[in-house]
Amino acid sequence: MLQGVIGAGAAGTLLANINSTARAQDTTPIPVGSALPMSGFAAADGIEFKNGLDLAAEEINAAGGILGRPIEIHVEDTKEMGADIVSQAMQRLIDRFSTPVLMNGYNVGTNMIEMDIAADNDVIMMHYNTLISHNEKFKTDPDRYYGCFQGDPPEYWYGPGCLNFLKTLSEGDKWKAPNKKIAIIPSANEYSIVIANAIRDKATEYGFEISLFETVPFPTNQWGPTLAKLRQDPPAAIIVTHFLPQDLAQFMVQFLAQPINSLVYMQYGPSLPAFREIGGEAVNGVIYSTVVGCLPDDFSKPFREAYRAKFGPNSAYITGSQTYDGLWMWAIAAAIAGGPSEPFNKEQTQKVAAALRRNVYRGVNGTYRADPAGQSTYCYPTQVADPSLGMPHQFLQHQDYKTDPKLIAPALYATDSFVLPPWFK
Amino acid sequence: MTLDILMSILVAGITTGALYALATVGLSLVWGSMGMLNMAHAAMLTMGGYAAFTVSSALGLPVIAGFAGAIVIGMIGGSLLYMLIVRNLLKNDKSTFESNVMIATVGIGIALENAILMIYGGQPLKQPLSIPGTLMLGPLALPYQNIVIILTVVVLMAFIALLLNRTRMGRAIRATAQNRDAAQLMGVAVNRVYFQVLVLSGGLAGICGVMVSSITQLSPPLGNDPMLKAFIMCVVAGLGNLPGAVAAAFGLALLEAFIQYAAGARWGFPSLLFVVIAVLIWRPSGLFGRAQIRRL
Repeated sequence: MLQGVIGAGAAGTLLANINSTARAQDTTPIPVGSALPMSGFAAADGIEFKNGLDLAAEEINAAGGILGRPIEIHVEDTKEMGADIVSQAMQRLIDRFSTPVLMNGYNVGTNMIEMDIAADNDVIMMHYNTLISHNEKFKTDPDRYYGCFQGDPPEYWYGPGCLNFLKTLSEGDKWKAPNKKIAIIPSANEYSIVIANAIRDKATEYGFEISLFETVPFPTNQWGPTLAKLRQDPPAAIIVTHFLPQDLAQFMVQFLAQPINSLVYMQYGPSLPAFREIGGEAVNGVIYSTVVGCLPDDFSKPFREAYRAKFGPNSAYITGSQTYDGLWMWAIAAAIAGGPSEPFNKEQTQKVAAALRRNVYRGVNGTYRADPAGQSTYCYPTQVADPSLGMPHQFLQHQDYKTDPKLIAPALYATDSFVLPPWFK
Repeated sequence: MTLDILMSILVAGITTGALYALATVGLSLVWGSMGMLNMAHAAMLTMGGYAAFTVSSALGLPVIAGFAGAIVIGMIGGSLLYMLIVRNLLKNDKSTFESNVMIATVGIGIALENAILMIYGGQPLKQPLSIPGTLMLGPLALPYQNIVIILTVVVLMAFIALLLNRTRMGRAIRATAQNRDAAQLMGVAVNRVYFQVLVLSGGLAGICGVMVSSITQLSPPLGNDPMLKAFIMCVVAGLGNLPGAVAAAFGLALLEAFIQYAAGARWGFPSLLFVVIAVLIWRPSGLFGRAQIRRL
């Protein structure tokens, strides 16, 4: 029964054990819905989110499904996203397939409308929007939004986490900061702006000052005027919170035409293969971080290998790992609760939600534990000091664009040390 | 502002202007001669970029073959657009042609973009036809790719000008643009002119796709932004006014670059929209346009 369970380790065993004791009468498939950006500018991520779901579903089904019922994945394309398109896509999934759960990746510009769709239909909704607005909305009415979970920490934690990383780095012997200046470059979207604001608001606490705060359009690939400003007043570190990999790769290509002695930290995009493919050698030295992503450890190795074997050598398991873990977590919670529920079955859906709140799950991205105040995942080390109770905020550096980036912090998970970027004179 | 900072803004503005100009000329040419707003221009531009990628990367042929492939695919796209869509719409009531062809090409554009998505996937790809490195002239840094783009566009502009002003085909295009019925009465094969213009515009779109993707990336919506900017340039210059469109492309791109530097990057595009609104209020026919007159 466990032959197909290669990535989830203990989770697969747990689910299989629950299944072995269950006397399933019903073997009809369980529809799992997912509203993903399968086309448009975020399609690169949408495709990986679907890959993660497909792999998890395959493994869960090989372990006997949920109490003997196999999982069936249904995807609706959210294209350029936004509240209107995403809400319609989610409602279509519920209406057409009676999905008891909506396992999304991220969608931008939704104003967290996803939570209202889940609440109105009494279904579980897990997503990876990485937004503090999830927590804020949850707090307004926890009883209504009981089924809404964010599978990773909110983006707010990037702010203090990034500053802490820079401060620690400057105190070591690998990088001597030429000044205390930081330039922050967000793009015009909620995720980028919240992170940029968090860094700006906390900078002085960590001994830094802001020399430039420049909001660029979303998406953007013409960096000339912004680079001119950076060159006019070179900071110790440039923090780009815009997150599309292709745009960030262009930033580096255009930056290296006249480089300055500044560290370059970027948000999320450098974790995707497109960043290296488009930027090539220009990406060497770039630092980025992510509060959710597949760890390069032994535990996740079977998942990484299975993912690339199934979806190709250039597939981004770091993104697919998110929905992969999400589906596994939900499957176990649904099995513990005695079934996945269905739309408008509030009593059973609440049982599944209670299991998701109670369980601590070690997935390929690290530890998931829901913060009861906002039903987002705890962040290690800035929010909780215990790595077994929070998802690691990983700092990685591209040291050779031909190979995977190196994990350089937090120390407990690090596999390599920071290297001074090649453009430093 | 030091000289090197000024120069870097100028280089960014002129490069963007060159790309805007290339996209604008293709759009303006078709509008000016046929009264056709080709909403599939963006998708044809994207097709050109992907064609170069396929020829150079997938087939492993030299870079120049990729460039030629983009032109050929663009021209084939233009000719198919004429044969399958435009020719048939022209048979109907001429008064409804302009609106019908706009709606038809919106559909073609969506279908092409989705076809590209299905064939190549949504992952952004690197355009192999890009030249790394920077030419250093003292404190001034000129990326080779930007130089190539500017030179290519200058050569193409000269070619288009010569074609329109010095050749029999160009005279026929200009005659059709000025008055289709009169040109037809004078013996100009108007349908052939339409075909030629769409093929020419398709070829330009193909080149533009290669140039744009060489400093950005390949993705199915690649052509949408240049198309939007080209439309702005056309409106500002006066729809169908070719020299005006080129001047507007460079002028507005430089304005955008300086506003991005001086006021912030997020004000670049709104400033272009502001210019469009102002032009539409004070000079509805465009800065270089005259009411009811289309000139090439």
